Amino acid sequence: MSAEKDRSKVHKLSLKGSSKLIAEFFEYSINTILFQRGVYPAEDFTAVKKYGLNMLVTSDDQVKAYIKKIMSQLNKWMTGGKISKLVVVITSKETGEHVERWQFDVQIFNRPSKKAASKDIDTPEPPPEKTEKEIQLEIQSIFRQITASVTFLPQLDAGNCTFNVLVYADADSDVPMEWGDSDAKEIENGEKVQLRSFSTSNHRVDTLVSYRLAD
Amino acid sequence: MATALVSTPLKSHHGIFSTRTAGGRIPLTPSPRTRTTSLATNVSNTSSPFTPPRQTTESTRIVSQSAYGNVTSYLSRSTSRTAYRDSPKSNIAKAKKSPKHLELGVSDWTLTGTETTASQTPSKSASRRKGPLRTRSGKTTIRLEAGDRFIPNRNASEGIVTAGSGKLDESQRPKTSNGEGSTVLANAVSAFDLGGLAAEDDATAALEGLNLEDSDDTSSYTKPAPDTLAYESSLATACGVSLNTRILSFKPAPPESSKPIDLRSQYNRPLKPANVASAQFRRRVLTAPERVLDAPGLVDDYYLNLLDWSSGNQVAIGLERNVYVWSAESGTVSCLLETAADTYVSSIKWSGDGAYVGVGLGSGEVQIWDVEEGTKLRSMHGHDTRVGVMGWNKHILSTGARSGLVYNHDVRVAQHKVAELVSHTSEVCGLEWRADGAQLATGGNDNLVSIWDARSLGAPKFQKTNHRAAVKALSWCPWQPNLLATGGGSYDRHIHFWNTTTGARTNSIDTGSQVTSLRWSNHYKEIVSSSGFPDNSLSIWSYPTLVRNVEIPAHETRVLHSCLSPDGQMLATAAADESLKFWKIFEKKPGSASAMSREGAVTGKGGDMVKQMTIR
Repeated sequence: MSAEKDRSKVHKLSLKGSSKLIAEFFEYSINTILFQRGVYPAEDFTAVKKYGLNMLVTSDDQVKAYIKKIMSQLNKWMTGGKISKLVVVITSKETGEHVERWQFDVQIFNRPSKKAASKDIDTPEPPPEKTEKEIQLEIQSIFRQITASVTFLPQLDAGNCTFNVLVYADADSDVPMEWGDSDAKEIENGEKVQLRSFSTSNHRVDTLVSYRLAD
Repeated sequence: MATALVSTPLKSHHGIFSTRTAGGRIPLTPSPRTRTTSLATNVSNTSSPFTPPRQTTESTRIVSQSAYGNVTSYLSRSTSRTAYRDSPKSNIAKAKKSPKHLELGVSDWTLTGTETTASQTPSKSASRRKGPLRTRSGKTTIRLEAGDRFIPNRNASEGIVTAGSGKLDESQRPKTSNGEGSTVLANAVSAFDLGGLAAEDDATAALEGLNLEDSDDTSSYTKPAPDTLAYESSLATACGVSLNTRILSFKPAPPESSKPIDLRSQYNRPLKPANVASAQFRRRVLTAPERVLDAPGLVDDYYLNLLDWSSGNQVAIGLERNVYVWSAESGTVSCLLETAADTYVSSIKWSGDGAYVGVGLGSGEVQIWDVEEGTKLRSMHGHDTRVGVMGWNKHILSTGARSGLVYNHDVRVAQHKVAELVSHTSEVCGLEWRADGAQLATGGNDNLVSIWDARSLGAPKFQKTNHRAAVKALSWCPWQPNLLATGGGSYDRHIHFWNTTTGARTNSIDTGSQVTSLRWSNHYKEIVSSSGFPDNSLSIWSYPTLVRNVEIPAHETRVLHSCLSPDGQMLATAAADESLKFWKIFEKKPGSASAMSREGAVTGKGGDMVKQMTIR
């Protein structure tokens, strides 16, 4: 019975619902990265149960508000299908160098046909229907990987780093005042590691971390 | 105007390049000539959009068939392509220029072109904004045309062809451009770069050539698809930039992190740290006093001990010449005694059963009072200086005096003085029996801590000289009998922890202020210290992590005395501001304890007391 229920749910997971799920995933990703990479002190984070894991979410009011502002706009863009990438860049405060770059590529399936054939040929077929549980498991394993990645990522100059959020949005997106054009903030000669992906019936998210090699 | 001039040639150059890159466009070289001439004569003409020649699929096919052109083009292309690849890394800003260039380029072609379809140019310019796909197709068309058109030329003049291939090399450029001058050359060169960037928006340019080669015989309109494919993939991998997306960053600066971070500790951090000072897991401590009583006339003397809480839940406090007993159960206060006019109360200590209170006087006399009856049981003489501190061990009362001597009195016998403990050379202000009565710790104004074995009182078992100020604060750990905490005065500010079996110092804290008293919690692995100048606060420390869990600004002046309630939950503090405050710092139910549950679950004496206090 529950399986049937699940299936019916899956079918109902609309583009909107899927966008919401992805946006939520971004929010937790940002928090997790800030925690794992020591951008903010560990005491500023509280554990929250999510995706069957203990996710750490900032409890610092300022950081909370900052992320909230980002997320409110992100939600709009996600729902409008405007976003192709979300990037969290960690920058050294001292040198201004970009030391780490977390990139989340978003692909949208079944996008109402955009310009000509450009996307559609490339766009992979949506994966077979999944239950929410399966999706959650995929997300869970991404977070496990992000957490585990501290083992191979070079140690950051903790406490001396700041972060930026970049978004690759369609050119025709509405852009509020707080957002402005930027370069990609790529890491020069960076090492790249592809992490896991997850997909819903409407979206696929790939995760990639690039970092500066130790000297 | 000058810029326009520049850009025009660029356009055309760009066009050339693209043709070059696309196989067999070499024939285009002728066009540059025409262009240059036009350039020299009238720029405006060049830029004026004429209808570009429209190419049919047939012509395309012809192009592909022409063998010469292809071969040469291959050569040239291969070189040129690599050159282009580098340039594509452009950023968006450059790319934005592309539309204009493209248009210009188109117009150039128009000039050179033989056939003209009027409709084409407008459509292209109109399509400018519609993204890469359109523009690309337009270019392709042009290129093909040119190739077609010029095939004959190319065949005829090999020199031109070589010149065309040579264009890659900047130094060779002059030749092709008919010696318009170094400026023109420079322009041309820059134009190439710009053109490369602009026209194809990066990597596309290079890719285009390939695609065209492969599918030369297909119509120009079908090509876009593979083009796009390659374009997109190359973008994704190489630059991550594409025409129809913008990279947006959230501009406000993120908040500063509140303090330096040590990642190593973070990686080692257990999910639920026991006593770490993380906000979420930290025990919640009530920082407001439960109750405040006046203590008028409290002598502001660090070396006295004027406050004690009995096991019978009564608080005795010495105020100048009087001893008052406040019953925590009933809230009633009674004056137990008043000393003679020539002396004052210098120390107070309840006996273990809470029935009697020992009172030390400034004269050196020690009195035992029955609190229930309100009568004095006996006086014990011996000290000739004030008795600043006392401690009970069953029927033994130890008294420390200003002389530095400590006497043990057996209160049951007439010859009460049973031992004389000699070690301090200055006033004894701290004295504490271990709960099992096996060891006694004393601290004095000579900065000395002495630890005595109850079985051999001839000499102290250990003498510790680490403190650099008077030691008044002494406390035995309730869960580890051989652990003693001692706190030093205002010049010392340290709490030291001792293993009294081995005499080793196990830990130290620099509290930053005078330590006036120390009390271990019975329920938590914590110790509370009261402090004098400059903080006048209470600090609760986790042991053995020595993390300060909370600091409560307790009084306005230095906290002189403290004592724990019999149930261990409440701390009473008396300060020189003449107030007596009660703090519920070791509440038994951590976290969930609301006022309701606290009062509802009254079991111990402390609970009763709280009830009483709140009722009153």
